[in-house]
Amino acid sequence: MEKPRIGIFSLTGCGGDQLMILNLEDELLDLLSHFDIKSFQEASSYEETTTELDIAFVEGSVSTKTDLERLKEIRNRCKLLIALGDCAIDGCVQAMRNQQMTIAEKMRKVYGVEEDYYDVLEPKGLAAHVKVDIKIPGCPIEKTEVLHAIISLLHGDMPEAIDYPVCVECKLNEYPCVIIEKDMPCLGPITTAGCDARCPGLGLDCIGCRGPIKDEANAAEELNLLSEKGFDFEYIANRLRFFGGNFEEIVKLTGSLKKKIGEGGQTDE
Amino acid sequence: MIYVKLPRENFTAFFESLKNYGKVYGPVKISESYGFKEVSNVAQLSLEYPRTMIPPKKFFVKPKERIFEFDEEKMEYRETVENTEIVIFGIHPCDINAIKLIDRVYINEMPDKYYQKRRENALLIGVSCHPDEYCFCKSTGTSYATDGFDLFLHEINDGYLVRVATEKGHKVITQNKHLIREVEARDMEDFKENERKRLTEFKLELNISGLQDMLELSHDRAIWREYADKCFGCGTCNLVCPTCRCYDVVDCVNLDLKTGERKRKWDSCMLRKHGLVAGGLNFRPTRVERLRNRFNCKGSLREDMMNCVGCGRCTVYCPADIRYVEVLQKVRGEIK
Repeated sequence: MEKPRIGIFSLTGCGGDQLMILNLEDELLDLLSHFDIKSFQEASSYEETTTELDIAFVEGSVSTKTDLERLKEIRNRCKLLIALGDCAIDGCVQAMRNQQMTIAEKMRKVYGVEEDYYDVLEPKGLAAHVKVDIKIPGCPIEKTEVLHAIISLLHGDMPEAIDYPVCVECKLNEYPCVIIEKDMPCLGPITTAGCDARCPGLGLDCIGCRGPIKDEANAAEELNLLSEKGFDFEYIANRLRFFGGNFEEIVKLTGSLKKKIGEGGQTDE
Repeated sequence: MIYVKLPRENFTAFFESLKNYGKVYGPVKISESYGFKEVSNVAQLSLEYPRTMIPPKKFFVKPKERIFEFDEEKMEYRETVENTEIVIFGIHPCDINAIKLIDRVYINEMPDKYYQKRRENALLIGVSCHPDEYCFCKSTGTSYATDGFDLFLHEINDGYLVRVATEKGHKVITQNKHLIREVEARDMEDFKENERKRLTEFKLELNISGLQDMLELSHDRAIWREYADKCFGCGTCNLVCPTCRCYDVVDCVNLDLKTGERKRKWDSCMLRKHGLVAGGLNFRPTRVERLRNRFNCKGSLREDMMNCVGCGRCTVYCPADIRYVEVLQKVRGEIK
């Protein structure tokens, strides 16, 4: 049987998801031997730019016109498109100020000028522009999760998508609840699991790095919970937006919060 | 039932002797909560614990486990058989009653050999407790364990009145007879007095009379929507529940694409995929349906026993502060 042809690509992001694949040190050679690799930017300068692909793994958000053109070109020549990591799924940290500031304001804040040197687009995940077949969350991705996803595909199955929150993994591991016991601003109840509750297991609150659970996360209740614990709206809004800036419910919620904060901070409503 | 006395001065020696019957687990303080952990000496025990976060069901229905390894090419599989003898010391009556309930499912109704083996290999020792503001086991009829344990230690003034319920328990007592005394009239009086007093200590009450009908007649009530808006759907209530016993099964194939393992882990009916079946149909797609289902399940009866033993865990550990008893009081219209 011919080996599946794959390509691993980066758009705007830190490159950490490709790095996690490379971090699969013990399995890497066995894993890659199943494939005909046509592009793997972080591992090799070898690249075939026009070959048809069976699977394209794309990390990074669509944040520039160049990203968008590249993404469309990749989509056109692959059968299966995998969004690798939070950036590719929903924009991740690049999106935290989406709909809160114009591109010009961002340019001025960061570079001191309003001129857009980079053909910037408001950062979005791949699915905002093209059809995505599989999403592997994480900032960065869990190397075991991507390994199992790839094995599933090789075996002829669709990878199992995790759509339950971190709380589940805390309980399975019997980790003390940092919300109940320590009043910490943990985002575990709304955040996609799959990290095996690494942070709460170390006594730290979840910052939501695997992103809110699509169509399921109850961000409004998270806001209630954290404000009852005494955190102010601005802090909560920033925390929710950190990895969830493009998440519809969070956009709505923090949009109304911005108004409240603008009207003179906390209200009792 | 046989009744004997364990004088306080012999408690440590008795506890030490339990190591002869397997690995000993008992309630230990972890952070601000408690959990059943392996204990090597009495000093590690926290016998005054209100409840553990994770109930002792974890010893029998494992949070996550491999059930077998397989080889697709050779068409073979090898089951993971565990054969470790354990002693669980210091279980409360609610949790003993919960284990009894799971026994009915995984031993009587749908025998699960992994479960059965672990139950056979365990020595269960109960200990008396006092309710806190979250306990309502008196209401669910589970504040006292009539059976389902090997030994039960009731604290009395100068030691413990021990109920011996099984042959296994009897063996432990006979092999430790140098530590055991006969029960005297004063001990019986102490025991009765303590039990009487304990029943007056409950602050939380749940009226379970006709609860199943009340739930059925409240199917469309707006309160489910109200609570579903609050609920995170995080599954904590199920995972800390001593009677919840759903699990999920996944196959994990290795990189050779031939061998692998079948694993199972606790599932929760509050999670979206719990109601998902082949073909993509989900018979409980929304949180409100899942929440109502959970309350219906807890309120339903297995033989004559409710699927809730009044331990209070789902309330204590709910991050959204949804209070089980309060929800049911609203269902009944007792509070608005």
